Amino acid sequence: MGDDVADTDGLAPARFRIGIDIGGTFTDFTAVDDVTGKITVTKHLTTPDQPEKAVLAGLEGLTERLPDLLPQSEAVVHATTLATNVVIERKGAPTALLTTEGFRDILEIGRESRYHLYDPFIRFPVPLIPRPLRVGVSERVYADGTVIKPLDEDDVLGAVELLRSAGVRSVAVCYLHAYREPEHERRTRDLLLDALPGVSVSLSHEVHPEPKEYERTSTTVVDAYVKPVIDGYLERLEARLDRLGYSQRLLMMQSNGGVISAETARRHPIQIIESGPAAGVEAAAYYGRLLGEHDVVSFDMGGTTAKLCLLQGGDAARTRSFEVDRVSRFRQGSGIPVAIPVYDLLEIGAGGGSIARLNDLGLLQVGPDSAGSDPGPACYRSGGTAPTVTDANVVLGHLDPDHFLGGEMPLDAAAARTAVNEDIAKPSELPVRQAACSIVDLVNETMAAAARIHIADKGKDAKGLTIVAFGGAGPLHACALARKLGCRRVIIPPLPGVMSSFGLLATSLAFEQAAAIRQLLDELDGSEIEKQRRDLEIAAAAALPDNAAERFRCIAEICHLSQDYPLEVEISGDLGKPLTLEKAKADFRRQYEDTYGRTDDDNPLELVALRVQALSPPRPIEMPALERSDTRGTPASAEENRTRQIYQRSRDEMVEAPVFVRESLKPGTEVAGPAVIEERESTTVLGVGDLAIVDDIGCLVIQIAPTGAEAVQRHPEFASS
Amino acid sequence: MTTDPSSLDPFQTQVLWQRLIAICDEAATSLVRTAYSSVVRDYHDYCCGLFDADGNLLAHSTKTTAGFIGIIPEVMRHFLRRYDQRDIKPGDVMITNDPWLASGHLLDISAATPVFDGPNLVGFALCVVHHLDMGGRMATTESKDMYEEGLKVPILKLYRRGRIDDQVIDILRANVRVPDKVIGDLKAQVAANNVCARGLLKMIGESGLTGLGDLGAEIVRRSEASLRAKIMQLADGVYTNHVTLPPIGGCPDKIEIRVALTIRGDEIIVDYAGSSGQVSAALNVPFNMTRSYSTYPIKLALDPDVPNNDGCLAPIKVTCPEGTLLNCRPPAATWGRTIIAHNLPEIVFGALAKAAPEKVVAGSGSTPLSAMYVHGRKQNGRAFIGVVAHLGGLGAGQGYDGPSCTSFPFNVSNIPIEVTENDAAILYLRKELVPDSGGPGEFRGGLGQEVEFSIPDGGHAPDGPVTAGVRGSGRHPDSTYPVFGRLGGGVGRNEGLLLNHQPISHGAQQQLRPGDRVTIRLPGGGGYGDPLRRHVDAVVRDVQRGHVSIKGAVDDYGVAIEPETLNLDEEQTTTNRRKRT
Repeated sequence: MGDDVADTDGLAPARFRIGIDIGGTFTDFTAVDDVTGKITVTKHLTTPDQPEKAVLAGLEGLTERLPDLLPQSEAVVHATTLATNVVIERKGAPTALLTTEGFRDILEIGRESRYHLYDPFIRFPVPLIPRPLRVGVSERVYADGTVIKPLDEDDVLGAVELLRSAGVRSVAVCYLHAYREPEHERRTRDLLLDALPGVSVSLSHEVHPEPKEYERTSTTVVDAYVKPVIDGYLERLEARLDRLGYSQRLLMMQSNGGVISAETARRHPIQIIESGPAAGVEAAAYYGRLLGEHDVVSFDMGGTTAKLCLLQGGDAARTRSFEVDRVSRFRQGSGIPVAIPVYDLLEIGAGGGSIARLNDLGLLQVGPDSAGSDPGPACYRSGGTAPTVTDANVVLGHLDPDHFLGGEMPLDAAAARTAVNEDIAKPSELPVRQAACSIVDLVNETMAAAARIHIADKGKDAKGLTIVAFGGAGPLHACALARKLGCRRVIIPPLPGVMSSFGLLATSLAFEQAAAIRQLLDELDGSEIEKQRRDLEIAAAAALPDNAAERFRCIAEICHLSQDYPLEVEISGDLGKPLTLEKAKADFRRQYEDTYGRTDDDNPLELVALRVQALSPPRPIEMPALERSDTRGTPASAEENRTRQIYQRSRDEMVEAPVFVRESLKPGTEVAGPAVIEERESTTVLGVGDLAIVDDIGCLVIQIAPTGAEAVQRHPEFASS
Repeated sequence: MTTDPSSLDPFQTQVLWQRLIAICDEAATSLVRTAYSSVVRDYHDYCCGLFDADGNLLAHSTKTTAGFIGIIPEVMRHFLRRYDQRDIKPGDVMITNDPWLASGHLLDISAATPVFDGPNLVGFALCVVHHLDMGGRMATTESKDMYEEGLKVPILKLYRRGRIDDQVIDILRANVRVPDKVIGDLKAQVAANNVCARGLLKMIGESGLTGLGDLGAEIVRRSEASLRAKIMQLADGVYTNHVTLPPIGGCPDKIEIRVALTIRGDEIIVDYAGSSGQVSAALNVPFNMTRSYSTYPIKLALDPDVPNNDGCLAPIKVTCPEGTLLNCRPPAATWGRTIIAHNLPEIVFGALAKAAPEKVVAGSGSTPLSAMYVHGRKQNGRAFIGVVAHLGGLGAGQGYDGPSCTSFPFNVSNIPIEVTENDAAILYLRKELVPDSGGPGEFRGGLGQEVEFSIPDGGHAPDGPVTAGVRGSGRHPDSTYPVFGRLGGGVGRNEGLLLNHQPISHGAQQQLRPGDRVTIRLPGGGGYGDPLRRHVDAVVRDVQRGHVSIKGAVDDYGVAIEPETLNLDEEQTTTNRRKRT
């Protein structure tokens, strides 16, 4: 394709956009041709030590198919798990921490509580910076911002000697109350840069300008710890892209959506720490918009975890309670806190590799631990013997052992069966098929249970939501999950296996500016606050490329005076007008009662902060309409009449189901469940009564059969004797 | 396991059980988000629980302090004794802070909200919060009876059919030092219960259950069976322990605690006969709290994986003669009950260690809680109450070095320095780990810390003196009650409570003035096993991480470290260790 499009002179770099997502196992690539709408994808094994290797190898592969790709590219958008991995594997540069004298152990002492009340042998992550590299400096600012003790510059210079001899390459500076009076931190940076040229410095008031010293220190330290690695990596990558003829800025996905320049990311690498999962959310949002679905559950299920995210009105919520390197992966509080806004994702220990066992109570348990890729599920025959969700899916016929990864990786069905039989079926005296069914059902229920809470927390009803499923295992479980949640529609976009790299291209440029206000709503000077909002708009727009800001969103953070957790109230209209503020008050009260029920709280309302987002419209990806089948609305015929036996839960029996190859399904084709739709990196399973329609761009749009009597299922007893 | 009498299969039970816990967590999150004091928001001194219609505890919030979990079932039963089920209407909220009916001192208010599915009562949401103030003398061991300690709220309805009783609010408001925060936190409890009730109704609606009866019975049955099976694995016998606590300010009496743990089949009896009698200081422990801190360590050691509920309490019987320190009669003064009760888990561990040493850890430097309530007025006239609470190191165990500065057996978070300094006229001077404070052992105790604060002067000075209820742990290597090691492990070190560099007794109130400086030294945890058996690499790592000094490495472990490189001197180490064994 594209052979009929001539290069337009002088405007060359306007044709392609490239998304590159580095994940734990694979680096995924999506190239969009904006002239033809053609999408080209590829995957390459991740090269953890030098991530740019995989990036370059993948780009090379793409260039073979799309000659002159990089010189004709308008944007390369990138997401990576590099920062997280650097922390988990403790591969950061030698980093030091300067604190107010007397407080160098804040980083190690943390908040002093136990994240698990019933673990008598509780463990915590090892701090990123050991005590000998944490240095106190004589200085002190009080809570109101007054300087009680001036900065002792000799102390800083004394620390320099220690840092030099320890070979420190990065320094985090976190002084008490620096969020209120940052001058000492700034001066410290000047002194450090003078004495230690080339060292990178992260200041707490820039990284996270909020009170609570442990969280701010921790966030600043993570930023400093990953900075030299990220900086070096992005610098090398930019140079290589440059050599390949790419003439535009490299763009990076942020943890809370939107993209920033690589230059900004190199200065504040903490902002890209969750860029990979964010790209998945962006992709789900994109397909939601494209198909006119505004309330969507983004469902990304891989080998180890499932990530769910609720999008309302096309947008996902953000949270600041993010942690890296959890000792106990799914226990909040067991990791290193990073207080930057990230998408409010729900991560569950439920993936293809999740291990099934009977617990002490004789109850079936699946996950949260995973066999991962090493030793892997029993059917991989690479050392794993414990039954996993993937093994159960093989037993139930959902996965075809001969067509896994397009047949490149044959699975051992007998080994899967043995594992399920030995560990689950035998001890509970059940047929192996029922045991396998319960494993799959429980993992679906685990995800559904967590999702229900997440959805309820956001005040939504699952019935009105559409699931957008992707990741290696997402399409396999999506219909069953939808049935449990009561969702009526599931969308499996094209190429679900590389969705995140696609999502990078679907996002828009966005930048947020915030100002702390801390004034009673009743005492606000409206015209003053309106002026502040305008200033924020100007500052936010300035962070985007020329004239990219198309519109602004203004959010007021409001709470009762002395509370600590404001609600977000959307502001429309001129804040200088009393009506706008009256409406904000009324909106807050309604939202408060909706969230917390009636509490008769009549304390005065405080405007905590004002946040303004400058938004640019997402660049549309013109998806080409696929060739239509001339038999629109009629059932597709199975590929070479392939069928196989799959387990049907509603009938509690194996049924004969047709197997389709996804690429061969033309738009308009209908596939009625029970059926299996296979593609290279994923498999979609339709239950009885489910109906998939292939839409114009190749999405499978699946109507889920109503649950009816199936809603409450009885399951065999798993009690051990 | 016996045959399943209910209509719920184990699969459904598991799923619904997880959901009940998630509902409690959601309630706790709402509590924190709507709270007014840092005691709730940062210190996390609360518990949210969920009960069936008969008042059986089915689940509680993941985040809670341990003392509440054995208590909230008792509170719920007392609410139901006071109000017949027929008198409980939709929209009611019942509250009390009665130390004997609820959680042992006046500062904790329990609030319970019935949950109705249409006309049917299906369960209760309950939230207990430690409030900043309840009037009276405030934090001190010096009160002689409850009436000195503040306002008692008998069981009553704060809400009737959805209408708040303003008179109750007015009485509370008139009796406390920081009314906006206390009333605000009470309303946050109402919010938490609202959210809990909404979640429960949604779950019932979606699951097709008509009530919680079957589910509750199933959860309790399975949990009880699990703990009984674990107790069965222990050798039958009577295991005892006995400690004499160090002196506590305001209390002239010597305090002894004796415990006898009788393990018989699948049951454990914890008996405190022979322990001290009731004292005329605010240290008496109402029995609810004694039971709570006696069952918790057993569950922790034997069956940590099953989520807690009423079933986990059934196989354990706790007894103590009435009218004694650990089962006091009204109107005994109880403010500092945890100065005593926090020791019970460690004392029970000491007895349990004789049956199963590998299941318990050594003594903890954070036991009992060292916390100070600091009350005064800022220059603008606004009253403040600040809480200064920091913790020592945890004890080591088999294969386990204790973490530094961690809550035990209670579970609270420190209040950030920046939050406290914003709230109160307090200036922190330092907060640092103390190397070598962890009890030496094959497995090392966690480090303690030293915390120092002062009352600011000049522009930040308070308006008038500041009243501080100062509580240290009182544990000292040379006292009758050091932070014990186990199986040859050494005691935790670093101890003391100082005012302007002079030692003061802990428990009694002090008047602090601008420039006064308070130093709190929190001990490290006890070690486990012979220190000379500690792996040399572990000692080298301890030195490199700054947890053990070069001198400590030689003195405690016989490990010689080169001062310049911080590397191991292998030869010298071998000689050292040979000499000592």
